[in-house]
Amino acid sequence: MSRSRALQSYVVARLLLAPLMLWTVTTVVFLLLRATPGDPVDAILGPKAPAAQKLALRSQLGLDQSLWQQYANYMGDLLHFDLGTSLTSRGQTVWDIIQQFFPATVELAFCSMVVALAIGISAGILSASRPGTIFDLGGRLFGIITYALPMFWVGMLLKLVFAVQLGWFPDGTRFPTRLLPPQGPTGLYVFDSILSGDFQALGMTLYHLALPSLTLGIVLSGIFERIVRVNLKQTLQADYVEAARARGIPERRILVLHALRNALIPVITVLGLTFAAMLGGAVLTEVTFSWPGLGNRLYDAISLRDYLTVQGIIVFVSIIIVMASIIIDIVNAYIDPRIRY
Amino acid sequence: MLTPLNVLTRLATRTPLAQRWRWRGARFYLSLCCCCLLLVVGCQPRPSEPGPSTTGASARLAIGTTGKVRTLDPADALELFSGNLLYNMGDRLYTYQSGTTELVPQLATALPKVSDDGLVYTIPLRENVVFHDGMAFDAKAMAFSLERFVKNGGQPAFLLSDSLDAVEATSATELVITLKKPFAAFTDLLAFSGLVAVSPQAYDIGPGKFEPSKFVGTGPYKLANYGSDSIRLDRFDQYWGDPPANPGVDIQSFTSSANLYNAFRTGSVDIAYQSLNPEQIDLLAKAAKKGDWKAITGPGSNITYVSLNLRDEVLKSPEVRQALALTIDRQLIRERVFNGQVDPLYSLVPSIFEVSKPVFQGDSNNANAAKAKELLRKAGYSSNKPLQVEFWYRSNVPSDGPAATTIKALIEKELGDIAKVNLKSIESATAYNNLDKGTYPMFMLDWSGDYYDPDTYIHPFLDCAEGSTAEGCKDGATVGQGSFYFSEKMNQLIDQQRQETDPAQRQQVFTEIQDLLAKDVPFIPLWQRKEYAFAQPDIQGVQLEPTQAMPFWPLSNSSS
Repeated sequence: MSRSRALQSYVVARLLLAPLMLWTVTTVVFLLLRATPGDPVDAILGPKAPAAQKLALRSQLGLDQSLWQQYANYMGDLLHFDLGTSLTSRGQTVWDIIQQFFPATVELAFCSMVVALAIGISAGILSASRPGTIFDLGGRLFGIITYALPMFWVGMLLKLVFAVQLGWFPDGTRFPTRLLPPQGPTGLYVFDSILSGDFQALGMTLYHLALPSLTLGIVLSGIFERIVRVNLKQTLQADYVEAARARGIPERRILVLHALRNALIPVITVLGLTFAAMLGGAVLTEVTFSWPGLGNRLYDAISLRDYLTVQGIIVFVSIIIVMASIIIDIVNAYIDPRIRY
Repeated sequence: MLTPLNVLTRLATRTPLAQRWRWRGARFYLSLCCCCLLLVVGCQPRPSEPGPSTTGASARLAIGTTGKVRTLDPADALELFSGNLLYNMGDRLYTYQSGTTELVPQLATALPKVSDDGLVYTIPLRENVVFHDGMAFDAKAMAFSLERFVKNGGQPAFLLSDSLDAVEATSATELVITLKKPFAAFTDLLAFSGLVAVSPQAYDIGPGKFEPSKFVGTGPYKLANYGSDSIRLDRFDQYWGDPPANPGVDIQSFTSSANLYNAFRTGSVDIAYQSLNPEQIDLLAKAAKKGDWKAITGPGSNITYVSLNLRDEVLKSPEVRQALALTIDRQLIRERVFNGQVDPLYSLVPSIFEVSKPVFQGDSNNANAAKAKELLRKAGYSSNKPLQVEFWYRSNVPSDGPAATTIKALIEKELGDIAKVNLKSIESATAYNNLDKGTYPMFMLDWSGDYYDPDTYIHPFLDCAEGSTAEGCKDGATVGQGSFYFSEKMNQLIDQQRQETDPAQRQQVFTEIQDLLAKDVPFIPLWQRKEYAFAQPDIQGVQLEPTQAMPFWPLSNSSS
């Protein structure tokens, strides 16, 4: 079988596996939430409601049905792309909630990833290309320290120094309180302010994005630094690199055009999965900076036992992660000839 | 192999010139991007100095809170902060005179005319009132709002569904409400924040038909934007009453009290309200004394108490319950745990009500301890056979842990080797689910009154519809509280106070209820919270009402 045909079969196989993965995730979420202590009826009516009102609502929501019946209803709704209605903010669909909170998470995840890649890859290259020097040692230390740092601690520290003490950055939130945020079709303030030509709003948005993105970016950069350093070091010792050196190709060109390209392949896998996971909400960063993202909303929904919202958000995030992992596998198979399928 | 990446790479590196150009270009664009970013970020004014396109923004006021606004639908909102927003955006039939507890008409023009049997309330209504959507307000709209409150089945529906029989608009300006049984606190209940008039054009009646992110009422503010972390209220120019002193208010929600504290200190918000932790309140209050900002204190309607499970073998004995109640030194808890930011509570009815009688305020501590030991010995406990009891608290309420630890230490100190308390914690959602199953012998809980009447601290605690003295309560409010208390006498007294229209007579009944509460001890009241708000020095008009509401309309910024 030719490589392109084999690749096509691989892509089809991966895509066919996706529904199975999604079914597994949704079933596990359904069962886990039912096993969690706490009653959704209490979440809806609050602890003050009389028992008769609770009983009536339990029946109305179908919570008095058997687990199998509930599961069948749940899967039926999912097949119709119906994630349900929030139990606590009654009248608001889970899809509305996702639409409301997801853009903030996307913006934060994207900017953090840019910061993480810029710092991580630069530090990794510097460390790997100068073995045994202070840069190598510095790179190693940077990788270990940033990898080990608790996110909330870095967030609080940066916030205390740069927002509270020095006042260089805002101390949280997505946009200044007294101003109306950019209104637009995407919910992404950066895009919406550009689309409406409001560059002051764009500035405000970037100003508010800066510190949370730096926090998350710095913490995540350690992972990328370590991957780039280790892989680049190995690649720089490979035979084809030695051959390139023997042909008199400048070291810088070898590093950038030959070694780095191959060393970046594992980064794509980590990058894709990390980014997909962050789209589910970087809960700690969002809580530290009062960032109104999906993670923050998920945290609230869990505290309030809003099962349908929790379920809906997890299913949504699971779809993103499954799709991301499929894309990563395909991209890896495409660019790395060593991968067998 | 020819892949898109290879093609791009080959194209880019075909000649040394192209390569050099590519690198220079990349550097150039990267530098340009960095410069632009630095310019954009560096040229940003501080949040407290809005730029030219934000004209008028400085006159608006920013209020920071940790309160979550779950819904703005008056038929489903029961939380304090949502209630406060509805208080500012909507009008009810009655409200309280600012700074007092005197009930005054709001959308009504006079206090209700009540029939002799106490069942029919005739209420004259105001004219020339319009909703935020331009629709005229009349008795039909008010009847719609009250019916919707009951029929949609939201969290606070039980407040009205228990007593309301029918609502009828007899004319455009007259509303007649018929009750199922007389209820003395009904007029106070009509001042509940959720019983606002809402536009029939904007809402529907039907179970579960809620609108959590919109509000169309008749109040001084209209909802301009309901964001994921902020709510924007604009002055309603067609408001029938006095216009607000500010053009609008922006409410910013923070994820933690630390974030709220920092936002207030850096000036990102003008007012910090609900909720800061005791240490933060202490620091801000000290700085307020130096004039850094203003501190505003008001009485709170939130009480904390211990529920005693009368089905528990140990706590079944009234002597044991009385002994435990005697050992608690509320002043010590106030100082040690809350830095003086709560008031001791000696009855389930907080001291904001005249009828409150400090029935749990015993003698001096030493005398209390001796009396408690005597009661325990009478109940059959001694050093050889000590009392052993489990005491539960909510693990996710920050102040509950230290308070419960202090109470355990107090009981064990006062009762010596006769009593042993086993402290346990559980997350509140799980606890609320298990309370009515009788899982916990002693549980520390809190409660906020829904309307401004002592009944809201008596009926939901002590009433039991079905039960017996021997078996305890089977169906009723005490089951939900995890106490299972049943007393024929208490039920009679509660019915009596609910029907009694003469204030003096009613006060007498409340006294009897509280005396019986101290004798039977199904609950041990602990403390009542005080409310705190902090405002920047140039903010005027901040006040906390006795009902715990903060009116937004008197707020203004003297510097704008």
